[in-house]
Amino acid sequence: MSQALRRTPNVGEVAGEPTDQDARYVYAVCRGLDAQALAGVAGLGAAPLDVVAHDELTAVVSTVSLTEFGEEPLRRNLEDLSWLEGVVGVHDQVIRAAAVAAPTAPLRLATICFDDDAVRARLREWYIPLMQALDRVEGCEEWSVKVLVPSMPAGSAASDHPVSGAEYLRLKKAASEGRATEAAAAQEKAMAVHDELSRRSVASRHLSLQDPRLSGHSGTMVLNGAYLVRAEDAETFAGRIGELAAQYPELLIDGRGPWPPYSFAMLDQR
Amino acid sequence: MTVLEDASVPEVTRPSRELAPASLVDLLDRLLGTGVVVAGDVVVSLAGVDLVEVKLQVLISSVRAEMAEP
Repeated sequence: MSQALRRTPNVGEVAGEPTDQDARYVYAVCRGLDAQALAGVAGLGAAPLDVVAHDELTAVVSTVSLTEFGEEPLRRNLEDLSWLEGVVGVHDQVIRAAAVAAPTAPLRLATICFDDDAVRARLREWYIPLMQALDRVEGCEEWSVKVLVPSMPAGSAASDHPVSGAEYLRLKKAASEGRATEAAAAQEKAMAVHDELSRRSVASRHLSLQDPRLSGHSGTMVLNGAYLVRAEDAETFAGRIGELAAQYPELLIDGRGPWPPYSFAMLDQR
Repeated sequence: MTVLEDASVPEVTRPSRELAPASLVDLLDRLLGTGVVVAGDVVVSLAGVDLVEVKLQVLISSVRAEMAEP
């Protein structure tokens, strides 16, 4: 087994589920997870899920082939939307199953270890930051709130009737200034929404604004917020999103959740 | 591919519920950009922003093609 892992000749004796072409895909690290909670949930390629434990930490893993998940094949596969969608879907499903059962720190997509010993070594090495991340997310869920400014119907200004050059430039400048003012006002309102939701959450983060070509939204996204909310406050939080949507009818406020704490389980040190 | 819908109050289920599934784009926001990163003898952990950007370009064109279908 260890001889097959040419890149880590010192890996030592290995219990050995994976063969030389196999590796372990790590979905998440949980604390005090009852493996029974994962019953009926399959891993990638319908492989069974396993757990690798170190103290009270449990990594949720399954076996994948390095012909699919090795560094080079992975780069190619990431360019394949349907492949990516499949992997992301399974990754999310496994994490959701774990996260309802125990405090869960989701790992990034495609975190691959050579074998269970390597997984265990990571759990040992990252024990303290993992425990800190799990402390942070325990009992909490993530909510996504996006704020969008609906697109204005274009060309409503006085462009139909002929105007002098100077008049045209003046109108154009005014329209441009108007847009800038509107954008600034929308930005300010989005920040007010964010501040309000932040006050009602354990932690919050600004994620990058999404490309409309990817997300399919229309209008201008001015906030892509993630909020870590205590599970018992979920209803209140969702209600507050609704109130904010009513308070700012000119904005589109899109709230989603509850999700696993994807945006809040980062290790503090990298 | 989930598309943002009109402003809506999210449905909230009771405790001991299931967590809601998120859209591909929302998951990519989270699974590529954040999350626990482990290093060492891990083969690949997608910390590479460059890789993500390259891939997103491809994604954009794929998604566009997909959305063009009825």
